[in-house]
Amino acid sequence: MVAGLAVAGLLSLSFLAPFLLILVCMPLFLKFLVRRGRVSDDVHKKPPTKVPEPVGPMLFLAALLGELIVAVGFGSLVPVAIIIGIAAAFAVGLADDLYVLGGKTKPLLLLLAGLAFVGLVGLRSNLYQPVITFPLLGDTNPHFFIYTVLAVVAFPVVANAFNMMDSFNGEISWFTLLTSLALLFGVCLREAFTSGYSVARVAVVLPLVAVAAAFLVFNRYPARAFDGDSGALMFGAMFAGLAVTGGVEIAAMIAIVPAILNSFYTLSSVRGFVERRKMGLRPTYLGEDGKLHASTERDSPSTLVRLILLEGPLSERDVVRNIIALTVVACILSGAISILTWVL
Amino acid sequence: MRLATLIAVEAAAFLLIIGETYFFFAFVVPVGSIPHNPWTYTGYALVKVLLTLGLGVLWFLVVLGMTRRYVTSKLRSLTPRPSS
Repeated sequence: MVAGLAVAGLLSLSFLAPFLLILVCMPLFLKFLVRRGRVSDDVHKKPPTKVPEPVGPMLFLAALLGELIVAVGFGSLVPVAIIIGIAAAFAVGLADDLYVLGGKTKPLLLLLAGLAFVGLVGLRSNLYQPVITFPLLGDTNPHFFIYTVLAVVAFPVVANAFNMMDSFNGEISWFTLLTSLALLFGVCLREAFTSGYSVARVAVVLPLVAVAAAFLVFNRYPARAFDGDSGALMFGAMFAGLAVTGGVEIAAMIAIVPAILNSFYTLSSVRGFVERRKMGLRPTYLGEDGKLHASTERDSPSTLVRLILLEGPLSERDVVRNIIALTVVACILSGAISILTWVL
Repeated sequence: MRLATLIAVEAAAFLLIIGETYFFFAFVVPVGSIPHNPWTYTGYALVKVLLTLGLGVLWFLVVLGMTRRYVTSKLRSLTPRPSS
């Protein structure tokens, strides 16, 4: 009874501490950014408004606090691995925010986040299980080497996919919140229906949900804060790390299908990693009516937003609503996969 | 409905991800044991790489094919046709 209450208290604290930290400190951090002249044009408004950027450092601090609470409270090394992975991704993102890294440099540097993360396996061999569990079919055989390689590669892939979903007011915060809830659902089901699965692996997901939910308050339309690459890459790296430690890789992959498709469309149409500021043709443009239009140039990059806008122009708020709808569909499929995998 | 095609692409990507990941871990990764003959080992490694590439190409072709068809048909309807 007492142990159960203590666990419930720790779970609540690992959610509430990062959530409240952002709600309380973000306004002060935004004032600090404005004083330092760290503001960006919100280019999808007419005329463009100025929005403080990057608030990634605030998001990182909140995630760090949540994971430290889990590490100390549960005495687990899993949140330490997550912290190492997100710290590396955050550092790469911050360098990009301050100095602008090349299109190929960023993914290569992000491999360091994956390497740092799997490096901890030397200290704790059960940091992750090198098997994939499929719905109805069960576990594959353990394949430590190939699983570890895929885990390292997952960091730059997922972090970049999240970063490419960071173009409109509220897009990245809604996307991260919804996908992290799908991830949490899968991890909770696994915890409930698998023997020997630690509750600490559920607790490590809560700071991501908390940070995304609190950030949404400031990032939703009309945005008062932009996360910058430091925030978006950190969100992606955290999601990848949590999918691996939680052992819910398939459900996690399904939840982020819109981001996977978006990055796939972009990479295949611009034929490689190109820094978005250096793209020649734009996929969309802001019309005189204040609405977003799809570019009708045949060679324009085919981003997810351009595909949505091919049906007709939309306001920025409606574009984000459509992306949220696609994400909700993916998260429902992810939830169904989790049920088929862990309950049936 | 604006998102119908994209949801169809999403569903295809979803099914391919599950099917291909299972095929990869259940059939591609276990191909061959670790034999003593290095040439046999190289042969198995090549088969694995080719099968993995094949899975990637299949995903690429299906998703890109669906999207291309959608983009081409939409662009055709957006571009004004010259009057005869």
